[in-house]
Amino acid sequence: MELPILPTSIIGSYPKPRWLLRAYNLYELGRLPKEDFEEAVRDASVAVLREHERAGVDIPWDGEMGRSEMTEYFTAKIAGFKFYGPVRVWGNAYFNKASAVSKLEYREPLVLDEFRWVRENTTREIVKVPITGPYTIAEWSFNEYYSSKEELAFELAKILNREFKLLEKEGANFIQMDEPAMLNHPDEVPIAVEAINRAVKGVKVKFALHVCYSNYYLLADYFEEINVSQFTLESANRNFRDMDYLKKLTHQELGFGAVDVHNPRVESPEEVARAIRKAMKYIEPERLYVNPDCGLKLLDRRIAYQKLVNMVKGVEMVRRELAKEGKETIPFRRSV
Amino acid sequence: MIIPALIGSLPRPVSLSKRLEQYYLGRLSEEKLEEAYREHTRRAFENLRKAGIRVITDGLYRWDDIFNPLIRFIDGVEVNGLFKFYENNFFYRSPVVKGELSLRENLIPEWLNVALAIKEEVYPGATLKAVLPGPVTLAYHSINEVYESLDELARAYAGVLRELMKELPVELVELQEPALAAELSRATKEKRDEVSHGLAKELIEELARVKDVWVVTYFGTPQVFPEGVILNFDLIDGTVPENYRGELGVGIVDARETRMERRDRLADRLRPLLRRYGKLYVTPNTLLDFLPESVAWRKLKLLGRLGGE
Repeated sequence: MELPILPTSIIGSYPKPRWLLRAYNLYELGRLPKEDFEEAVRDASVAVLREHERAGVDIPWDGEMGRSEMTEYFTAKIAGFKFYGPVRVWGNAYFNKASAVSKLEYREPLVLDEFRWVRENTTREIVKVPITGPYTIAEWSFNEYYSSKEELAFELAKILNREFKLLEKEGANFIQMDEPAMLNHPDEVPIAVEAINRAVKGVKVKFALHVCYSNYYLLADYFEEINVSQFTLESANRNFRDMDYLKKLTHQELGFGAVDVHNPRVESPEEVARAIRKAMKYIEPERLYVNPDCGLKLLDRRIAYQKLVNMVKGVEMVRRELAKEGKETIPFRRSV
Repeated sequence: MIIPALIGSLPRPVSLSKRLEQYYLGRLSEEKLEEAYREHTRRAFENLRKAGIRVITDGLYRWDDIFNPLIRFIDGVEVNGLFKFYENNFFYRSPVVKGELSLRENLIPEWLNVALAIKEEVYPGATLKAVLPGPVTLAYHSINEVYESLDELARAYAGVLRELMKELPVELVELQEPALAAELSRATKEKRDEVSHGLAKELIEELARVKDVWVVTYFGTPQVFPEGVILNFDLIDGTVPENYRGELGVGIVDARETRMERRDRLADRLRPLLRRYGKLYVTPNTLLDFLPESVAWRKLKLLGRLGGE
């Protein structure tokens, strides 16, 4: 399978259409039947998928229209978690942080229906399935049951591994594990690495690992030990400063965060192209994918879309330069 | 004597966050938002009274993190980038120091006046503290593009805080100084420079000459012991050193786990400290923002029940 050089992708979330947010509210209040709510989610999913495709994104997703939040969605589906109420993450953003109160058990598929729906409706050959990783779910939960976070994370790795095997069987070829919390405790990074490796064990699809708003020098020490073929990292938020940690990324790919998802200013294509050229000082273009820093969900939908459009335009500028060197496509590599 | 106290923030109630969301979308006027702040502050003070918390803060409902909005009121600082606040799933917007620091006209004294008036109405017996980030923690969590060293930056922040403290309508100011115990987590970023312990002590003691100061540390045992202040120790992730002789608060309930502590075990833990110091403030070990609201209030009620022993 071939991709254009500098394949463009997304990280996961995208602003939900306002009408869908209303449907969420009505559903929560019991004023919208389940089947109507699910239909709304499916329709929004297609709308966002088309939006990604129209922007020119090579490897799209549906913007997680069916997910309320990146850990709550999963903890609500895994038996053994309980919710006490939302907790603030930053500014005015909250999430429902679950407490593990009994043994965790795989009760139902986590993202299988989403994957099937996206695959049925996309025009693209490859889609990327984002799933929150085992350490981050453990770290972003309270633990009232397991004797250690390690035990909790490994239990979650087992549950995710079961889901990944199911996705592989269904034809998924690209899964991104989101582990924004894996560097929270520098002395626990080996636990996070082990949990990630247990989760991907025996699954033959391409895996990316997304880590954001963290100290990447700490991650760089573990690049070699993590069994994924790509790291999708945020860079625009830090103004593309201080990127020397990339010197340690010697064979895996980089999913380069080229637009800032926490700033409503839309970057110009020229700015994106400049940033990519900077990344290419560290990583050769054959190992470089381009994506936003993180999920776009906190932006206004029109701004999110324009950011994707300009990201792709910026990529196209660099592609034209690379074409002169005969570099136009890369193989889709499941492993490196 | 054991005195239950609040440090830093309360979880911002979801009902208030919804009002804020409406305000950001332009669907709520500034006046209505102000009403919401006052109403929620009133409710918080009533609940603190019922819980028996004697030294209180305004819950930092108007703050996004311990640095914002203060850093928006400082000339020379731009606000940019999200960083992890220590080893938590909680992020702060970083101060980027682009010029010499000086205090701008700001709303913090006015907000405290509002809180004071509400407190007088619903909980006159409580002492209200102002809450500000300390100069050392501010320095460590800034991106410094101007000052030659972190020492110089901390000194500049202390100058700004000194000016602000003079304007505050309260006598007691809490300085959030986790960096005295945990300078800078690698979870946030690499440490490239440091504030010397001697200077940290000196700066805080200087601020303690402007107002009474309560220095709150957490995520470890403090390495700096300013004199003439109340120093708060985190008993979950740190200890009180044997040779500490000053006035103290102890963070004894875990504000990062939902599991409830047992009152008898907390009392056992406090007994030797009480024998040593005679008077203790008991507090959560860190910001209550890390807990769901319902659990945070259960923990505050538990703290209140420790009072008076």
